[in-house]
Amino acid sequence: MPTEGFELTFAADHDVPVCYIDRSREYYLAMGFSKPYVWTHLAEVPFAPLGKPLSQASVTVVTTAAPIEPGKGDQGPGAPMNRAPAFQKIYSAPTDDPPALGISHVHYDRDNTSGEDQRAFMPLPALVDAATTGRVGAVAPRFHGVPTRYSHRVTTKKDGPELLERLREDNTDVAILAAI
Amino acid sequence: MCHQTVSLIANYLEANGIPTVVMGCAKDIVEYCGVPRFLYCDFPLGCPCGRPNDPVSQAAALDLALRLLESAPAPRTTVQLPVRWSDNPDWKRTFFNVKEMSAEEFERVREHELSWRKPPR
Repeated sequence: MPTEGFELTFAADHDVPVCYIDRSREYYLAMGFSKPYVWTHLAEVPFAPLGKPLSQASVTVVTTAAPIEPGKGDQGPGAPMNRAPAFQKIYSAPTDDPPALGISHVHYDRDNTSGEDQRAFMPLPALVDAATTGRVGAVAPRFHGVPTRYSHRVTTKKDGPELLERLREDNTDVAILAAI
Repeated sequence: MCHQTVSLIANYLEANGIPTVVMGCAKDIVEYCGVPRFLYCDFPLGCPCGRPNDPVSQAAALDLALRLLESAPAPRTTVQLPVRWSDNPDWKRTFFNVKEMSAEEFERVREHELSWRKPPR
């Protein structure tokens, strides 16, 4: 039975998740790239249940954002696409003294956001708050950056094993991955 | 491409016993790849963890990601952050959308794209 006073709120027809696969295909075709990118599509997805309550777990963050480094051009809020800060190897940094991060090296929606507030793309500060209240057991000693790659083979054969080794070195139980 | 990268990494870690949750804004890319757990923010690319300068939405996003870690019953579980970017959804029209570009903007963007890589022959 409907709740008294409840009214449906309707959305506009185009208020649906953006189809980035279609958008990028049409975009690059228009730019002259005739061969569309083949996006990864997996037949099976693994699933690892939590081995312990989150309140006892060590949790880390994995990001594709890059440390801001002097001498690599404009990496600040709203900077144009800048390949210089892009990294080709996994990096790790201390969670108790994290470097400033930027997203100027990747395609993000520069018309509607600027990368000004790191917390909008990096959940580490919120995770630290969650550890302070006991929601999670601990923040792992390091967070990790993974390179954005076109090659799914390099990501899974090279970056995956290297990241796993680092997580195991830190006795990390859980990973939160934030995609730009 | 970031979304595909972290989706693949999530699969690798999960297959090796480490539970993961992906936070992202490109629902189609993540779900087409397939991940164990996905916290979807219907926000512009670049804001997978909440609205900029809005600590309340950022805390809500992390809280929902943690609850997803605890409660997802099976792989490919997606939960959407119940926060709207704006009452006006027109922001969804522009990104990478050549149909929305003026001829002048198209040429500027094309020149930039071709400045760092060439189309295959």
